[in-house]
Amino acid sequence: MCPLRCEPTAILAAGVVTPIGGDLDGFWSGLLTGADGISSIERFPVGDLKVSRGGEIKKLSSRDDGVRCRASRLLFAAADDVRARAALSADSARIGVVVGTALGGVEELERAIGGAPRLSTAAAGLYDAPGHALARRLGARGPVITVSTACASGSTALGLAADLLRADRADLVVAGGYDVLCRFVMRGFDALRSLTRERVRPFDRRRSGLLLGEAAALVLLARDGDTRHRLGRLLGHASTSDAAHIAAPDPEGRGLEQSIRLALRSAGVDARAVDFVSAHGTGTPLNDRIETAVLKRALGPRAREIPVNAIKGGLGHTMGAAATLEAIMCLLAGRHGVIPHTLGLEEPDPDCDLDYVPHAPRAASPRIMLSTSLGFGGCNAALVLEGGPA
Amino acid sequence: MSGVRLGGVGVITGWGEGIAALPADAAIAAGARMVVPAPTPALTGERFRRATRECLLGVKAVALLLDDAGLTREQIAGTETAVLYVTAAGYGASNHAFIVAAESGGAGPLHFPYTAPSAVPAEVTIEYGLRGPYVTLIGGAATTIEALAWAGRLIADGACTRALVLAVETFTECASLFARDRRLLGRPLTEAAACALLVAGEPPLAVQTVDETSTRAADVRRRAGQTLACAPLLALALARAVGEDPWSVTGRWRGRTLALRED
Repeated sequence: MCPLRCEPTAILAAGVVTPIGGDLDGFWSGLLTGADGISSIERFPVGDLKVSRGGEIKKLSSRDDGVRCRASRLLFAAADDVRARAALSADSARIGVVVGTALGGVEELERAIGGAPRLSTAAAGLYDAPGHALARRLGARGPVITVSTACASGSTALGLAADLLRADRADLVVAGGYDVLCRFVMRGFDALRSLTRERVRPFDRRRSGLLLGEAAALVLLARDGDTRHRLGRLLGHASTSDAAHIAAPDPEGRGLEQSIRLALRSAGVDARAVDFVSAHGTGTPLNDRIETAVLKRALGPRAREIPVNAIKGGLGHTMGAAATLEAIMCLLAGRHGVIPHTLGLEEPDPDCDLDYVPHAPRAASPRIMLSTSLGFGGCNAALVLEGGPA
Repeated sequence: MSGVRLGGVGVITGWGEGIAALPADAAIAAGARMVVPAPTPALTGERFRRATRECLLGVKAVALLLDDAGLTREQIAGTETAVLYVTAAGYGASNHAFIVAAESGGAGPLHFPYTAPSAVPAEVTIEYGLRGPYVTLIGGAATTIEALAWAGRLIADGACTRALVLAVETFTECASLFARDRRLLGRPLTEAAACALLVAGEPPLAVQTVDETSTRAADVRRRAGQTLACAPLLALALARAVGEDPWSVTGRWRGRTLALRED
């Protein structure tokens, strides 16, 4: 999705639940202190898997102990964090919900397929069930949409939310992404052999794969004319297809490059104006090399001067939540004047020769920021964000 | 022009290819069958050997659309064609297959990527070389209404010159699961793959919430059975077949009924 010219959208507030922090403040301080959210997985059996670690959230609010669907619980926790920071002050029929996910409530579907006796309906096992549960929790009676562009979902969801506002389908939209760490996805990535036994090292010479994590991340979006206090603005977005391979990115990264160019065009922003890039940065040999080459092409000669970070080293790859978390990180970087470092990057790879903010957070004042995402099935997405001091 | 025109449709259901294959009454035609399965399209090639049935149905539906629209695959390839894919349940079969394979230790490296709902549009974009705007939405008929309106906005914005809205629903592999929910899913469950090509024209489309399903939506439900996200696309195909205004279509999902309207 990529309108030719996007109307800027106000991002009023954000809320998260992550392996390094249970709310927005914890997430941000975890990024700056280099917190490591990777641990041994405890919630389900992993003894038969080659890799048994991930970014598992160990503790969730007891308020939702009665909610069995973990995906819904993650969304509820993030939504509570948003609502603690901004009121959903609009007619409930004009409040929309757009969430992105790679896996939906697959754990519920797995239980349902297995014939768990407590599940009486198929509806709870469908991938859009958590999004509708969130809408009910918020009392939102406007559009409810679930996006599933694999690990780019959290980016596409923000773009579609902006489009909903532009089309006057809603006055406020709660949008973002989520995914849970569960046996289904661990077995899947185990079979793909893309998980590392070492630490996640985005753009490092020794990088050997990714680790998975779970999270939910939501933002509250309004039309740009909304005069309330804001975290920043979404200026432009795009989601495109590689048309190359079911599981691997296009070797040339053409789809990602097109997403970046379209997002910049829809934002009305020249590549030379970009101050900071949040990369997808999974820590897999292929992704990081392709992403580096794409950023060089899309951003031109200035690419080497622009700080680029990746935050999956401490969180794991949180799939549908990742892109929204990274967008929120961008806005917080603009607000606080500091860019979190790329945790796990110690020995630069000659093939990844951009400024990947190693070792420690860096003082900077990024205003225009680019966030990139890729996913299975050739999904690519890019967001152009504007932040600034509080 | 700031709106859209229906450039072509492609339909496969458990009743056969095209709208003409639909019976007058799906419930009567289905008899005691809870699921009316769609046969797996016979497509050749290494990629299709490992692809899932729902992927093949999607690819075949687009082939039928190209025939209907009088277009070649070269004419739609590239960055000017958007793909908007919608499904409510079309990933259940691949999820089920992966769970079974993993339990027996037989899950290969490419098993898992096909569990993603976005595997279907991925195979379609690979097959036809479609590299334009791209999204997968999860939901039933109301979600397809959203997708049709979005497709119209993308064209009006100049983000693409045409948009393929595709839906695929399969039920056979998870029939026992879906049997537990008559309220949401209804009977008979008819497997389907349906798509529509929107091109620049008139009118501009928007979405509104309505109380009642349209006559045509009811007609699709009666003749095809429960096809979830495919239903609005079957309605477009029905309208195209009889030369009526295609856009008076509604879709219902999880208690919400949406309609397209001329903006």
